[in-house]
Amino acid sequence: MSGGMGGSELAPLRALLDRHVVGHDQAKAALLLGLVCREHVYLEGPPGSAKTRMAEIAARGSELDFFFYQMHRDTRLAELVGDVVLERRPLQAGPGDPEARGERIHQKIEPGGLLLAQVCVLDDISRAPGEALNVLLRILNERKFGDAPIPLLSAIATSNPMRDEYYNEPLDPANLDRFGLQLSVEGLVGSGEPELARSLLDRFVDGEVEEQPLLEPVCDRGLFDRLFARLGKVPVPEPVRQALLQFLQTLVRDYDCNETNALLTDRSFLVKSVKLFRGSALMAGREAVAAEDLDVLRWMTTFRVPEEVHARVPEILERVKEKCG
Amino acid sequence: MEATAVAAALESAIVGQEQARLGLLLALVAREHAYLEGPPGCGKSLLAETLARAATVRPAFLHFHRDTRSSELLGETVLRADSAAGGRRLSRELLPGALLEAEVAVLDDLSRAPGEAIGVLLPILGERRAAGRALPLETAIATAAPRGAESYGDPLEPTQLDRFAIQVRLSGAVSSDRAGEARQILERAVRTRAEDSAAAGSGLPLALAERRVLQARAAALEIPAAIRSALLRLAVRLCEVSPEGDALITDRGFGIQAPRILRAHALLRGADRVAEADLAAVGYMLACRVPESVRAALPELIDELISAPMPAPGGVPAHGAGRVSGEGGGAATTPGASVEADRIEVSVEGAVSGPHDDPASAEVAPLLEAIEGRFERGSAERGDDPGGTPRRYRRLRRLDEVFDADPTEAVLFVDGQLPGMPHSYARERPSRGGTLAVLRDVSASMEGRLSRWAGEVVDGIVRTAARRRMRIGYCEFNHCAERFSADGRFFHRRYRKLRSLARSRRSEGRTNYEAPLRLALDEFRRGVGDNRHVVVLTDGVPVLGDPAVARERREARRLGIRIHTVFLGLGECPRVLDQLSRETDGLQFRGVPTAGGRLRVQERFERSVAR
Repeated sequence: MSGGMGGSELAPLRALLDRHVVGHDQAKAALLLGLVCREHVYLEGPPGSAKTRMAEIAARGSELDFFFYQMHRDTRLAELVGDVVLERRPLQAGPGDPEARGERIHQKIEPGGLLLAQVCVLDDISRAPGEALNVLLRILNERKFGDAPIPLLSAIATSNPMRDEYYNEPLDPANLDRFGLQLSVEGLVGSGEPELARSLLDRFVDGEVEEQPLLEPVCDRGLFDRLFARLGKVPVPEPVRQALLQFLQTLVRDYDCNETNALLTDRSFLVKSVKLFRGSALMAGREAVAAEDLDVLRWMTTFRVPEEVHARVPEILERVKEKCG
Repeated sequence: MEATAVAAALESAIVGQEQARLGLLLALVAREHAYLEGPPGCGKSLLAETLARAATVRPAFLHFHRDTRSSELLGETVLRADSAAGGRRLSRELLPGALLEAEVAVLDDLSRAPGEAIGVLLPILGERRAAGRALPLETAIATAAPRGAESYGDPLEPTQLDRFAIQVRLSGAVSSDRAGEARQILERAVRTRAEDSAAAGSGLPLALAERRVLQARAAALEIPAAIRSALLRLAVRLCEVSPEGDALITDRGFGIQAPRILRAHALLRGADRVAEADLAAVGYMLACRVPESVRAALPELIDELISAPMPAPGGVPAHGAGRVSGEGGGAATTPGASVEADRIEVSVEGAVSGPHDDPASAEVAPLLEAIEGRFERGSAERGDDPGGTPRRYRRLRRLDEVFDADPTEAVLFVDGQLPGMPHSYARERPSRGGTLAVLRDVSASMEGRLSRWAGEVVDGIVRTAARRRMRIGYCEFNHCAERFSADGRFFHRRYRKLRSLARSRRSEGRTNYEAPLRLALDEFRRGVGDNRHVVVLTDGVPVLGDPAVARERREARRLGIRIHTVFLGLGECPRVLDQLSRETDGLQFRGVPTAGGRLRVQERFERSVAR
C-alpha cells in the first residue's frame, strides 16, 4: 500500500511525511486516503507514536487549516466549536407586543475550532463525556453545524489501546462506525522493528528530524478539492464489485461475523468502501479501481470484526482477489 | 395519489427495507408515531429523515445522546429584559424549539436518551401538547439501536414503546447475508456520487392540506363489524400464543392505534373500506410487542382466524388472504394448512424456552435489587461532569458554563452590575462503571434445578451489571477454577456472551472456594478503579483448598472488594460464607425452595426491621 504513488499529485505530500516521520507506512497512506475521500480516521496507539505529528504535517504541507484538541473528561462541546458568548438583541415590536421595549439575552456560539478547520485531530477521543462526543460525532458525520456546512475534510481521532485502560469507556459501535478508516498504530520501539527505531534515533540525533519542523507547503489547498471532484468518476469494474461482495459474504458465512460480534454495516461496507477504493486508485494514479484497492478493507475491518478474524483478513483478501482476477 | 410521491421518495432513498418503508407511510397517514430499531448503518435515520422531508415543509430533527437534557427538547430559554413598566423587569422566556413547531419529527437515536429526557418527551408525543399549547405534531419517528445489553443507553421500556403504534425492526443487508440487496446497495453507491447523505427528495414536500386530505380519507374508511371482531380476536390470540408476560397488547394499541393503522393500510392499497387483507398491517405494530417468533407467525394466525370463525385448533386456512400490494420483506408466504398450525405451536414453544428452560422458576428480584443497591453505593462518589445533574451552585469558572448560570445574575453580569462572576450549577454524576467477578459453583451437586437456578441468578446479575456498564469476569469452579475471557481479558463488557455462558449446565467435580477467589483477586489486583464486587454462587462446603479462605478474605478487605455470597444449597449455609460477606461488607443470600419447585432468593439476615 505504501509507495506506489508514482505520478500522483499526492507524491510530494507523501514525501514530506516520509521526510519528517519515520516508518508508519500504513498510517501515512490511510491518513492521505482519508483526506482524499473525506473520510474520518481512527488511530489507536500508544502515546508518542507520531499520530498527531503525521496529521499536522499533512495539513500544513497542503495549506489546510489545522485544529488540535486534547479531549478530557470535562470536555464540553463549546470548547470544540468555538466560544460561548452572551448576546443582547433588542426586542422587536410586533403585532402581539406593540409596546415591546427591552431586549433578549441569548447564548450564542462564535464559530471557531472544529467549525473552521479542514483537518482536525481529536486526541484521546474516548475520554470525552457522552454529551460532547455524540454531538461531535454527529457534526463530523453530517459536516454541518446547525445548517451551515463546515470545511472539514477529515477528522483524525486517536485513542490509547483499550485493553490497558480502566477508566476510559470504549467508543460504542455506532460511534466507531463513523470512522471509515481504523488503524492500530504501534510505537517504533515497541513494534519489533528495531531498524526503524534505530533509523528514527539516527535521524533525530543527526538533526534531520526536527521536533517542530517549519514546513513549506508542497501543494496548494485546492489539491484535495480537485481530487475529490475526480473521485466519483473513477470506474469500479465488475470483478471488484464481485470481490467486495464475496469478501463480505466470506466474513459472514465462513467466519461467523454477525450483528453481535461485528460491525459490518451497509453504510460502511457498501457505500463508504466504494469511495475508499476510488480514492486508493486515484492515489496510485490508476484510471480505474483495481484488485489492489481492495486492500483498504484491511483498514476498515480493524475494529469492526473480532481480532482473530481481522488477523485473517489479508488472507481472505488474497483469495477473493485471485478468484476475481 | 399524493402518498405515492412520499413512497417514491422513500424508495429512491434506500434499497430494500420494505417493512420500514411501508410502516412509515402507515404512520404518516394514520397520524401515529413510529419506532425503527436496527443496527448502525442500515438506513434507519436515512429513512426517517427522507420521510420527514418528503412529507412536510416543517420537519424537526432531534438527535438524542446520553446526556440529552429536557431543555434541549423544548427550545431555547432566553432572558427577557423589559423596561416597559417604568422599572426594569427580567423574565425567562421559552423560544419554542423545532419539536414544538414540527409536523413530522425525527427522534434519532432515541435509545440513548436518559430518563430525564424521555420523561419529558413521551407525554408530549402522547398528548401532542407542550408548554400549554397544542402542537402541530402528527408523526414522530424514533430510531434506536437494537436492545442488546451491549448498546449504550437504557432501552425504552415496553410500556414506553407502546406510544409508538408502528414498530419495525431492521437489519443490515451485509450482516444478514441478503446478497441481492447488498448488490443493489453497492451498485447504487457506485452509480451515484458516493455521498453518505443521499440527497433524495426530488419534488416538493406534501403540503399540510394534502396530508390532511389523505388522513381524513383514511379516517373515514369503514371498518366492517367482521373485521372489528377479527381484530379483537387477533389481539387475544397474540396474547395467548405469546409466553406469559412477553406480550404487550394494550387497549391503546388495539383499541385506538390498530384501527387507524388498518384504515391507513386500506387507503394505501386503494381500497374503499377496510378488509381482511388489512389485518396484515398489524404486523407493522408488533416488533417490540410480541416475541419475534410470534410476529413471524402472524400471517398464519390471521389465516386461522379468517378461515375458522371459532378459533379451533387445526382449522383449515382457506386461502392466502389477498396479498397486499407493496407488502413484502418479512411478510411470510402462506403455505399448506395443517402443517402451519404445527409450526405455530413449535415456534411459540421456541419462544417460551428462550434463554431459560422454565420461565421464572427462580425469584431473583430481591437479590438483584439488593445487589444493584450495593453497586450504586460503590459508585456513590460523584464527580463533576458536564452531563450530570445540577447539584449545587458555585461561581462560574468558565464562560461556557453560562448555559447553567443563574439567570438574574447573568443579566446583571451582562450589564456590568455584578461584582465578580455569576453563579452557575455544578453538574455532577455518579462515577460510572465498576468491576464485578461472578464465581459460579459447578461441582457435581449443582445439577438439575440447582444449575438452572444458578444460571438464572447469573443471567440476572449480568443484566443488572450491564445496565451500569460494569466490566464483568465470569468463572466457573469445582475443584479448580476456570476463567472465561474475552479478547484475552478476564473483565470485559461482552454481556451477550456472558449471558450465554449463564446457560451452562455443567456439573462435575468437588468444591473448592480458594481457587476461584484467588483467580478473581489476582485479576482485580491487576486493575485499578473502585466499585469492585465479587458474587459467589455455591451450594456446598469447600472440601478442597483452604476451607476458611483466610488469605483471600484478608486481601479482599485490603483491596476494598465486596464479596456477595448466594447459597443455593438446601442444607446448612457454610459459616465461611457468612465470614466472607460480613468482613467485606458484602450481601448474603440464600435460596429457599417454595412450593411448586420454584426458588426464592432472599437475604440470609434481615438487615434491619425498618427497611
